[in-house]
Amino acid sequence: MSQHLTLPNKNDRIRKVKDQVAKYGVSAGGLMVLAALLMIFFYLLYVVYPIFEDVEVSHESKISVAGQQHNYALGLDEHVEIGYRFTDQPSLEYFSLVEGKLGQTILNKTFDKLDSVSTFAKSSPHQGLFAYGLSNGEAFVVQPKFKISFPNDKRFTEPRITYPLGEETITLDEAGEAIEHLAFSVSEEGAGFLFSTASGVKYQYWVAEENFMTDEIEWQSETVELDGLGSDIQALHISPDLSRAFVVQSKQLNIIDIRDIEEVEVKYQVSVAKADEKVVASTLLSGANSIMLANDQGIMSQWFEINGEKGPELIKAREFVTDNKQINGLFSEFYRKTFFATSQNGRLGVYHTTSEAYLFDEVVTENAVNNFAIAPRSNAALLETDKGFELIRIKNKHPEVTWSGLWQEVWYEGYPEPDYIWQSTSASDDFESKFSLVPISFGTIKAAAYAMLFSIPIGLAAAIYTAYFMPSSVRSVVKPTVEVMEALPTVILGFLAGLWLAPIIEENLPGVVVLMLAVPVFILLTAFAWHSLPAKIKNSLPEGYDCLILIPVILAVGYFSFEFSPVIESAYFGGDMRLYITDSLGIDFDQRNSFVVGIAMGFAVIPTIFSITEDAVFSVPKHLSQGSLALGASQWQTLVRVVLLTASPGIFSAVMMGLGRAVGETMIVLMATGNTPIMDWSIFQGMRTLAANIAVEMPESEVGSSHYRILFLAAFVLFIFTFVFNTVAEFVRQRLREKYSSL
Amino acid sequence: MISVNPEVSSVSANQVTDPSQLTAEQTALEMKNLNLFYGNKQALFDINMKIPKGKVTAFIGPSGCGKSTLLRCINRMNDLVDICRVDGSIELEGKNIFDKDVDVASLRQNVGMVFQRPNPFPKSIYENVVYGLRIQGINDKRYLDEVVEKSLRKAALWDEVKDRLNDSAFGLSGGQQQRLVIARAIAIEPKVLLLDEPTSALDPISTLTIEELINELKETYTVVIVTHNMQQAARVSNYAAFMFMGELIEYSDTNQLFTAPSTKKTEDYITGRYG
Repeated sequence: MSQHLTLPNKNDRIRKVKDQVAKYGVSAGGLMVLAALLMIFFYLLYVVYPIFEDVEVSHESKISVAGQQHNYALGLDEHVEIGYRFTDQPSLEYFSLVEGKLGQTILNKTFDKLDSVSTFAKSSPHQGLFAYGLSNGEAFVVQPKFKISFPNDKRFTEPRITYPLGEETITLDEAGEAIEHLAFSVSEEGAGFLFSTASGVKYQYWVAEENFMTDEIEWQSETVELDGLGSDIQALHISPDLSRAFVVQSKQLNIIDIRDIEEVEVKYQVSVAKADEKVVASTLLSGANSIMLANDQGIMSQWFEINGEKGPELIKAREFVTDNKQINGLFSEFYRKTFFATSQNGRLGVYHTTSEAYLFDEVVTENAVNNFAIAPRSNAALLETDKGFELIRIKNKHPEVTWSGLWQEVWYEGYPEPDYIWQSTSASDDFESKFSLVPISFGTIKAAAYAMLFSIPIGLAAAIYTAYFMPSSVRSVVKPTVEVMEALPTVILGFLAGLWLAPIIEENLPGVVVLMLAVPVFILLTAFAWHSLPAKIKNSLPEGYDCLILIPVILAVGYFSFEFSPVIESAYFGGDMRLYITDSLGIDFDQRNSFVVGIAMGFAVIPTIFSITEDAVFSVPKHLSQGSLALGASQWQTLVRVVLLTASPGIFSAVMMGLGRAVGETMIVLMATGNTPIMDWSIFQGMRTLAANIAVEMPESEVGSSHYRILFLAAFVLFIFTFVFNTVAEFVRQRLREKYSSL
Repeated sequence: MISVNPEVSSVSANQVTDPSQLTAEQTALEMKNLNLFYGNKQALFDINMKIPKGKVTAFIGPSGCGKSTLLRCINRMNDLVDICRVDGSIELEGKNIFDKDVDVASLRQNVGMVFQRPNPFPKSIYENVVYGLRIQGINDKRYLDEVVEKSLRKAALWDEVKDRLNDSAFGLSGGQQQRLVIARAIAIEPKVLLLDEPTSALDPISTLTIEELINELKETYTVVIVTHNMQQAARVSNYAAFMFMGELIEYSDTNQLFTAPSTKKTEDYITGRYG
């Protein structure tokens, strides 16, 4: 006995060191896991955070330019180094915006041959064209351009001036009346001019034709007079693709179809102001699908055309209500749906239509803003007051994203009503991105729900049978086999589901439906038949191997289901069940639908559920089930009343683990769903899940763009999903375990 | 030498010394030429014995001698072992329990069993006691209440748990749990109660309580107890059977078995030469 009390020997020291190493090693490992999780969490937040940042506007410099002429329009180059202005001289003057040379004239081109200027027009911002309307009924189109070169590896911006319709003026009004209002656009096919004179509004279309004799380009024009438009013209707008023109009057908006020069007419008119309101400013949004109007009550409204019941109609999608009754101009960005409202009192408002965001509204200068120009990259703006020019910097990286826009219905351009839509990119630059996380979150839940619908009954039933009824010799084969299923790469499952299973299901839909119903029925019938067989036959099979007779039964049911599929189809569904579903039931049918996903993902989830449930049921102490049996309970009563109750924490966590896997699963849903972000519970429709969405779009999103950050947000949402599921699961499991765990 | 509980002995004063002389009326169970095989291995050899009605019979013997196996034959718990095969018969009130028309569930309702480890279900105390009734489809609340009180009183547990019948059974101590399990077994009013080393997982005080309980139970039930504690067998039983290597070596009045064993093996065992 005294040997145990001797002083620590060498072995003891080693043991102590091992203990310490184990202690700190395990703690460090645990902390590192925790730290890694936290870091993922915070990294996601860090990337996501900027989309919720406020707009910042800061003064850069005040610029005084020699000669206080009246300016018709301003502009900036892409790098905010050079500004330009169209004056009433008429002239185009470029001046420097660079610190040190502020306001210095770089280039000044006077158009001295022109008659006196009566009006001025801008094309859409990204076309960058400007036109003088002259009092003799002529017009003159100018395009300021910048040539960027890199002499000595330094960027050098050089202003240029081009004349897309020639250096001569073009005649709009044959009668020579002064042009009062003008809107124009130059496209590849031709140029359209909408103008008003004292005698009315006219549309003129210019088309360039190559003379096949001389190879010279000759401009041909055709003019249409528009009737029924009074004289109270506020502004004219024309869409860059020459499809629509708008005549803005103080109370109403006239929509003109200009697609075909032979049939140009005022399509319809919409009243846009109440009795006490008056439209004071208007602009086309980028993409020219919407027109923004501002009235003298400080209300700005967005209007776009939708396909109504009686053909196209213009509707007011949303309003921006402010208390600024002195708005004097609306300016849209080059590519985004952000617009700026300038006002007589120096206030500048910044708004985004899609996200319905009031981004900024503050007084930025003491004087009235007479003119305004936004830089092509939307990072700066030039504004003109009576006291000169001011350059402001604008930090507005992600105006299209707001929390409410991500989770609520948004009314997108051209849609008949607000909706949840995910459509992040398109080929066009001025596309209105539709970032609603609702359809993809819904898709995640839908995919998981269908997968669970398929896997929970099979997984649980199989596990309970294996653990409780199966003889150990069969169990030792079945359990590892099912667990190996888990190791199957999901990409193969998805691949098979999408390319092999989906077409089979589509072609044999009645057979598959019959199979789904017949298999459980026939399993029960077989079990019953086997049960009522004489003992002699029953005993011919070793105990427990009786489950094997189900294999031929299932195969036979499968064979006959598919064999009779065409028969059923022609007898009840007019020969094509798919058509029948689509036409007679009015349900859309996608080849890659929730049914396929349910089966494929269910297949991936079953091993998880099976394995954990099996362990839980199997580890219910034998003395508990024997205790129940010894009280005269049947095997079934024992199973239901004691074994499942005791195993319930394990069964619950099995289901939650399965759910967690189904929610996070990527490859199967990516390949077998069709990735259509629609919101529909229909089993015959696909879906797009958060995980698949990230996988599909991450490679094509520009780093740092709103799209990129929203994908991170989607990842964050997914993280929260699984986090919540697991936390709830663990919490409930602990509670169940406290209640039902055996000794 | 092992002292025999005078209380039990006094009762046994007027009992039949040789259990094979029991009349049919005095017999609860009769085993005839009982052989039991685990696969090819024989575990019980030609057991012939009569278990007296309303008495406590103890099976003693060294580990692995087959006493638990024999006990488990009585309510056919051995059916659960795939490779187990039984020859011969056990008659419960004249009816062979291995007959094909015997329903195992109703047999077990007549032959209750208490295991070595307390095995309350993960339910409340109340639900544990009424479990055997509920599985028979009895759900009448008033009747169940009555049975709970009666059974718990019989199991000498009522006073300790009457105020927390709806608490989890896991909150009870080991001894209390074992008494709860006994209450659960007697709630369905079996004819025979099998106790498989019921105190081996308990502390001495709880053991004493259970032993006192067994003494009371034999007024109502035929009790068969397996124990490897010879003092316990001597204290609680009226009859004792000594088994060795699957054979019944000696079976007689407890007093006689412990004071005047008729075989050398028995004497060796009870004097502690092996076991």
